[in-house]
Amino acid sequence: MTIAVMKTKAEQALTEAFEVNAAKLPGSTAVSEARRDAIGKFSASGLPHRRIEEWKYTDLRNAMKDTLAVSVDDAVKVTIADVIVALGALAHVDAHRITFVNGRYRADLSDLAGAEGIEVTPLAAALRTAPPKVAAGLTAVGAAEDAVITLNTAFMTDGAIVRIAPEASLAKPVLMVFLRAGAEGRFTAVRNVISAGEASTSTLIEAHVALPGASLEGQMNALTGLTAAKGAHVTHIKIAADFGKAVHLSNWDVTLEAHAVYRGFQYTSGQSLARNQIAVRYDGEGGKLDLSGAFLVRGTEHVDTTLVVDHAVPRCESRELFKGVLDNNGRGIFQGKIIVRPHAQKTDGKQMAQALMLSPDAEFDSKPELEIYADDVICGHGSTSAELEEDMLFYCKSRGIPDNEARALLIESFIGEALDKVEHEGVREALSTMARDWLSAAEKHK
Amino acid sequence: MLEIKNLHVKLADEDRVILKGVDLVVPKGEVHAIMGPNGSGKSTLSYVIAGRDGYEVTEGDILWNGESVLGMEPDERAAKGVFLAFQYPMEIPGVAGLTFLRTALNALRKKRGEDEMNTAAFMKLVKEKGAKLNIDVEMLKRPVNVGFSGGEKKRSEILQMAMLEPTLCVLDETDSGLDIDALRVVSEGVNALRSKDRAFLVITHYQRLLNHIVPDKVHVLANGRIQKTGGKELALELEKLGYAGFTGKAA
Ligand SMILES: Nc1ncnc2c1ncn2[C@@H]1O[C@H](COP(=O)(O)OP(=O)(O)O)[C@@H](O)[C@H]1O
Ligand SMILES: [Mg+2]
Repeated sequence: MTIAVMKTKAEQALTEAFEVNAAKLPGSTAVSEARRDAIGKFSASGLPHRRIEEWKYTDLRNAMKDTLAVSVDDAVKVTIADVIVALGALAHVDAHRITFVNGRYRADLSDLAGAEGIEVTPLAAALRTAPPKVAAGLTAVGAAEDAVITLNTAFMTDGAIVRIAPEASLAKPVLMVFLRAGAEGRFTAVRNVISAGEASTSTLIEAHVALPGASLEGQMNALTGLTAAKGAHVTHIKIAADFGKAVHLSNWDVTLEAHAVYRGFQYTSGQSLARNQIAVRYDGEGGKLDLSGAFLVRGTEHVDTTLVVDHAVPRCESRELFKGVLDNNGRGIFQGKIIVRPHAQKTDGKQMAQALMLSPDAEFDSKPELEIYADDVICGHGSTSAELEEDMLFYCKSRGIPDNEARALLIESFIGEALDKVEHEGVREALSTMARDWLSAAEKHK
Repeated sequence: MLEIKNLHVKLADEDRVILKGVDLVVPKGEVHAIMGPNGSGKSTLSYVIAGRDGYEVTEGDILWNGESVLGMEPDERAAKGVFLAFQYPMEIPGVAGLTFLRTALNALRKKRGEDEMNTAAFMKLVKEKGAKLNIDVEMLKRPVNVGFSGGEKKRSEILQMAMLEPTLCVLDETDSGLDIDALRVVSEGVNALRSKDRAFLVITHYQRLLNHIVPDKVHVLANGRIQKTGGKELALELEKLGYAGFTGKAA
């Protein structure tokens, strides 16, 4: 059955933009075909809307009425100094750096010197030259039917292909910088494909930041596919911090082989609309997942975290902790689904989402879902939403701490519990600084 | 000097009147005790001095060093030297005791026009003052009061007082929940702070604390007013006879 739906302006424009830009998008014939196939799927489905269960709280069709010009071959002048300014507190993190400006790899802004045990290739180059079988793998990351992912396949311009050698232990994190620059807002699609070799140890950071002075608007569609091979230890962090007008659509598609240990963390602030989807699948027994995040929301911003953790095999562990601070008319959404397949005995899964409400007009919707088909499992979830406690505020103030500082102290301590999940000290401190700056900006806001 | 003049206090969102004309003067250098039956308004008095929301002063005034504190925010009062050791100290999950103490100390120093204290100097001071109260630095790395025993909470209140060096110290039932040894430690901590520049208001239900912290005067609060004022022997008298004579009810 097909239901004829009127296409919105954005849906129409995206389909048309594909036709106009198809020739400029990087890739071999096989890749072009995959792109064409994906835009076909998108044209049929359109943007996800509230009548689709998983998008009940985030009506993308309604929120993204217009689309910006598609980013294909921007040449914006950006210097290393600019990148450092845009990175802010993150610039202090000692890391191998690969930089993309408006979705294009920039060798002049990247520094991978001395990186041992890893191989980093820009996606665009691989899309052009990879043999059909490899290209097929690059175009088939994530759920093929997901509308945001079909758009990503159709429009991806670049990204990082990162291969961590088996047994390698990276001394420094790999920082992938996605910089939004230029006076004109862009629709940008990037894709990263990461494979961590057996028993390797690595830290990968994706930073989505904007250059001061860049157009306030931007639409980012970012997809990262990650596979952690047997016994690999991977720390994977995404930081998306913008000026409050941008759209950030993100997908992580993670596969964990036996005894892989994966620590994922996402920090989101300053997005007018963010949808962070994370799908994790266990492909071997003994895998461990620790997924957490912090989101800071004010004005009319909207941040949605939607997870699906698929315990497809026995004896795996999952932990999730997401904490959000919501001010003004901000809205936070947490949807966490844990699936335990029939034979996935001895699964141990726990999930928690917590919101701190700074305003009576803020809203937090939390929908934990446990789909358990095995009987010998430990699974639990919880969700809280609370205001700052007057008693605690009074206690702080009675000790001489002014109201604004007392509030900041209590908010920081709330969000700090999530930030503490980040084991890398430099990154954790950078995130604390960013959260503190967000709070003091709130003070100026008043 | 603390001067409480004809203080009337009601609950802000109820019609209940709790204090009905309290008059009290505590000169600097003196320790005054307030005793009284449960529910007589002792904690209410301490909260109104510190500036907690939820209470309304309908009449009267509270002056500290000649200045009314009623219009001041709690942190401004703290900057003027007011300190309340809570009957039930609050727990603050996620804020380490050291962070809390240092934030408070530096906020007060800033308000008093002094420089922030650096980490090394701060740590030295905390260790020194903590040792006197049997408080280990490890305990202060934990979140404020979270998971502390009753006695630990009270000792940590006194440590805060020792660190912040207030000039008006209000202690609300600091003795409750303390065993004999803890009582001695806490009392020694308080006594060490006694000086000609400081006034103390020690609220207690039992006389036993006053064996350790010997007061200059004892006041009996009942039925919303100070019913009687005397020397330290009044406490012993109350211990023997109870508060029946002041409440009109048998003890
Ligand atoms: N915030 C409040 N809300 C409701 N009742 C209160 C509040 N504060 C005090 N009271 C009431 O006022 C009376 C005095 O309480 P309190 O000052 O705690 O007495 P004390 O410390 O002498 O035991 C009690 O009856 C108590 O229940
Ligand atoms: Mg009391």
